[in-house]
Amino acid sequence: MQRRSTVAVTGTLLLALGLTACGGGDGSGEATGDAASADHTGETLTVWIMEGTNPDGDAFFDEVTAAFKEETGADLQIELQPWASAHDKFTTSIAGNTTPDVAELGTTWTGEFADVGALTDLTDRIKEAGLEEDLVPGLVESATLDGAQYGMPWYAGVRSIVYRKDLFEAAGIEVPTTWAELQTAAETLKAANPGLVPFPVAGDSQYGAMPFVWGAGGDLASKDGDVWTSEISSPESVKGLEFYTGLATEAGLSTAAATTWKETDLLSNFEQGNVGMMISGSWTPGKIVADVPDMADKIGAFPIPGETEGLSDSFLGGSHLGVFAASEKQDLAWEFVEMMTTGTFAQEWGNQSGYFPGQTSLLEKVIEEDDPLVAPFAQQMVEAGASVPVTPLYGQIQGKKTLETMLQSILSGSATVQEAADTAAADMNETFGS
Amino acid sequence: MADLHQVPGASADQLTRRAPAPDPSAGPRRGTGRGGMHGVLGHRSPVRPWLLLAPALAVLAVLLLWPLVRVVMISLQDYGLRQIASGESNYIGFDNYAAILGDSFLWTVVLPNTIGFAVACVVLTVVLGTAVALFLNNLGTFWRTVCSTAIMVAWAVPAITGTYVWIWIFDPLNGLVSSVLDSVGLIDPATTNWFTERLSFYAIATLNVVHHGFPFVAITVLAGLLTIPKELHEAAMMDGATPWRRFWTITAPILRPVFAVVTILSTIWDFKVFTQIYLMPGGNGGNKEVFNLGVWSYIQSFAQGKYGMGSAIAVLLTLILLGITVVYMRTLFKEEEL
Amino acid sequence: MSALTGTPSSSPPAAERTPGVAVGAGSAPGAPGAPRGPQVLRVKARKRPLPTAGKVVGIVALLAFALFPAYWMFSSAIDPEAATRGARIVPAGVTWDNFVTVIEDGGFGQYLRNSIVVAIGAVVLSSVLALLAAVAVSRFRFRFRRAILVLVLMVQMVPLEALVIPLFLQMRTLGMLNSLLGLTIVYIAFSLSFAIWMLRGFVAAVPVELEEAAYLDGASWGRMFWKILLPLVAPGVVATSVFSFITAWNEFIFALTFLQQSAKYTVPIGLQKFFGENTTDWGAVMAASTLITLPVIVFFVLVQRNLASGLTAGSVKG
Repeated sequence: MQRRSTVAVTGTLLLALGLTACGGGDGSGEATGDAASADHTGETLTVWIMEGTNPDGDAFFDEVTAAFKEETGADLQIELQPWASAHDKFTTSIAGNTTPDVAELGTTWTGEFADVGALTDLTDRIKEAGLEEDLVPGLVESATLDGAQYGMPWYAGVRSIVYRKDLFEAAGIEVPTTWAELQTAAETLKAANPGLVPFPVAGDSQYGAMPFVWGAGGDLASKDGDVWTSEISSPESVKGLEFYTGLATEAGLSTAAATTWKETDLLSNFEQGNVGMMISGSWTPGKIVADVPDMADKIGAFPIPGETEGLSDSFLGGSHLGVFAASEKQDLAWEFVEMMTTGTFAQEWGNQSGYFPGQTSLLEKVIEEDDPLVAPFAQQMVEAGASVPVTPLYGQIQGKKTLETMLQSILSGSATVQEAADTAAADMNETFGS
Repeated sequence: MADLHQVPGASADQLTRRAPAPDPSAGPRRGTGRGGMHGVLGHRSPVRPWLLLAPALAVLAVLLLWPLVRVVMISLQDYGLRQIASGESNYIGFDNYAAILGDSFLWTVVLPNTIGFAVACVVLTVVLGTAVALFLNNLGTFWRTVCSTAIMVAWAVPAITGTYVWIWIFDPLNGLVSSVLDSVGLIDPATTNWFTERLSFYAIATLNVVHHGFPFVAITVLAGLLTIPKELHEAAMMDGATPWRRFWTITAPILRPVFAVVTILSTIWDFKVFTQIYLMPGGNGGNKEVFNLGVWSYIQSFAQGKYGMGSAIAVLLTLILLGITVVYMRTLFKEEEL
Repeated sequence: MSALTGTPSSSPPAAERTPGVAVGAGSAPGAPGAPRGPQVLRVKARKRPLPTAGKVVGIVALLAFALFPAYWMFSSAIDPEAATRGARIVPAGVTWDNFVTVIEDGGFGQYLRNSIVVAIGAVVLSSVLALLAAVAVSRFRFRFRRAILVLVLMVQMVPLEALVIPLFLQMRTLGMLNSLLGLTIVYIAFSLSFAIWMLRGFVAAVPVELEEAAYLDGASWGRMFWKILLPLVAPGVVATSVFSFITAWNEFIFALTFLQQSAKYTVPIGLQKFFGENTTDWGAVMAASTLITLPVIVFFVLVQRNLASGLTAGSVKG
């Protein structure tokens, strides 16, 4: 008796809820499935987002949660993770089967997790949503393994050159467009400002060296069939490295301390006024202005010039949103992913965090705005953004710090460029061969 | 009956005699048979020690025994993310161990760095801690309390934060030390980077670790010092003994067990140092010259997702430390003390 | 064996410890190797204190050395220009914004609460378990006693990173993931190792005569433990609790991987939040570090009175 009436009550409730939701007719989600929305009431989607990308993150996610609830009826549980040990956290969760439904993944992790089958193949969903052509190619590349795409591009950052506009103007220097001009600009800066470090070559920054390897026509590694081989010791790569490290070892445009600098040290020294130009990411101008408001009108940015013309490729980093294969809410997860990576929320996230959205149409809007501290990066991203080899093996090479070791041995004088490159190539091939 | 409120040992602000305490190890041996200490009183059962141990052993066994076994099992496998995800095994026998032990880099750079660094840290920590304790012993109560609290602060600052602070202080371009030396004309900040040289790198790291570790030794030794009756020193002074000689003939022998425990623990901790090296410029893998065992084991394995290798290194490290501990126990503790 | 003759001994001779013997008597009658007795009786010279100037220099040097990094940490936390500090000894100004950021945006209020719960829990329980174990190991002789001692220490030897995944799986099997209680139990296991070793000495320092006297009075073992042993080793328990506290307070990697909900995070995780992938908020890092350091110092000060005596008893007796 009692049970039947309970069932009846529950059933009526559910029916009522369902009817209300369907009849609700909210504005969003018109393009996507009709019945797909609003029938996830009572479900909760667990999402892991990395900490610190967006200073207004809390308010942003409150908005997102409300909108998501309205659109799908489901709740969101967002857990912020510190970058430093996020990889460990993912690994243990994969081991213990406690993965979230959706997670933000660094672009170098997506391939790694996809390789072991932890992520869902999103290729078909992307096609269905008509987004195939509208995603930034560099981000798509890093999310693709064996022709299938496992991560949805969310936001991206790229490295170009941030410089002291005021010092350039004072010394009458134009923005360089070739490597030779870059060196001359640095030398002129140094002559005009003896205490300044015009172009520090950071030994612990792998991404700082890559534009020069790529710009000279070299590469990190190449794939022949299924086998990867290192290209870091090829003549072109070595030429690029010789120029880059030569700025420090031969032209004296760097400083001894920079041998062990990470990108955070570069930024810190730039903020202290010690540095003239630095290879730095699109997220840094905002940070500089926040930390040192006085510098707001003293800084500028330009894309990394090519050797003799055009631009040098620069590493396109950023994050994807991935859906874990173990999740039981695949449809719901995809709805969330789509909501975050396209349209208004993607744009808002880009604005607030200082990164670029992963959707090309949105990116083009950013370029149109022509903000002097944003447009050069956008140009770099669209015209000259590249990816590191997309294979979990390269993740191992990065873990071993092969490139950094190479740079530091050159900068500290314990090896010539060719020697260091050969050692690095051997090291890389050892990993590739395994 | 002895005054039960006379607590063994002295409180920091007064010098009191200790409660009667015969050589403690003499006690148990007077008993007959295993576990039967004072058999004549019949209150000890052979089961009791195990009952007392049970909770602690249970926690340790349930929580750590199986994971430790798993570590050994993983060390015999080529265990990466793929195996983690699938749960499948991938046994390769002792290949990991062979790869580790056969790596000349381990023997030529990593182990010498680790052992040299650990020896330097342990010696300096114990010497500095003891010196501080001796100094504090001579202070009045108020200053002793103030200073004890101050050195506790040195210990309480998280290791990460402390490391970053030392890195800033020693920043070759902008740091305090650099600007002081520059103003005196000893160095040129533009061309100096002491983090790239092994010796200077480890000197700074040693300063960091010793600074963080000496409070433990100082407070422990101080407590020990307070138990030494002043009369012993006074009598020796009557004989004209210098403070140096008094230390070695009176203080050191009494405190030998203190030094022993402190040294064992410091050695274990300093062998495994990771964070303080890893966070330093060039210490995160870019500068091969400055690898120690902690960093090397991380870079060789976990940083590359090779958990099998990492587990093998962990097993080897544990065995080494186990060996060192056994040696310590044989030489520093006498048979009956344990 | 007299310490005066420099013969190594595990503890000062029993006679020195007899209470009630006049201070001037030096070595009690009957103690071997103490021929100095009569001379000391005659001359009761006080040990000459260090010259004041030397003491002042020493105190200043010690305080400066010990406190300088902490000063740098705190002054960076209140410095509005923390990121560009360089060699500046004095902060550029005073701002409490970083602390506000850390507590409000960083959620540190919640993390501190969680950490305190876990740390206190770990301290109390590990002290109890370690004390019982220490009594077993020092008061009784049984087979495997030394082996157990060494094996207990082994926990300290295994690098934590290697244990993360196996321990995670174990905790999942036991259903203790994502709970502060589960984390507390893990920390108990880690601090037991050290605690048992230190407490062993404290327990051994309590004279067996006291226990025997209690038995003669008709007390059971349990009563003896409660009424006699426990009060005497209390300082030792307090001492080892400090170390357990620090273990639980600063542990990071297990806390991060075991706790699934950020509302349960502990302070070390909170500290990592301010280290972004490419940028670091140094002001917030230092403010968070200051907030992490303070409770530890409070704990120290609270136990400091008993700390020294506790450590004395344990260590000297070996």
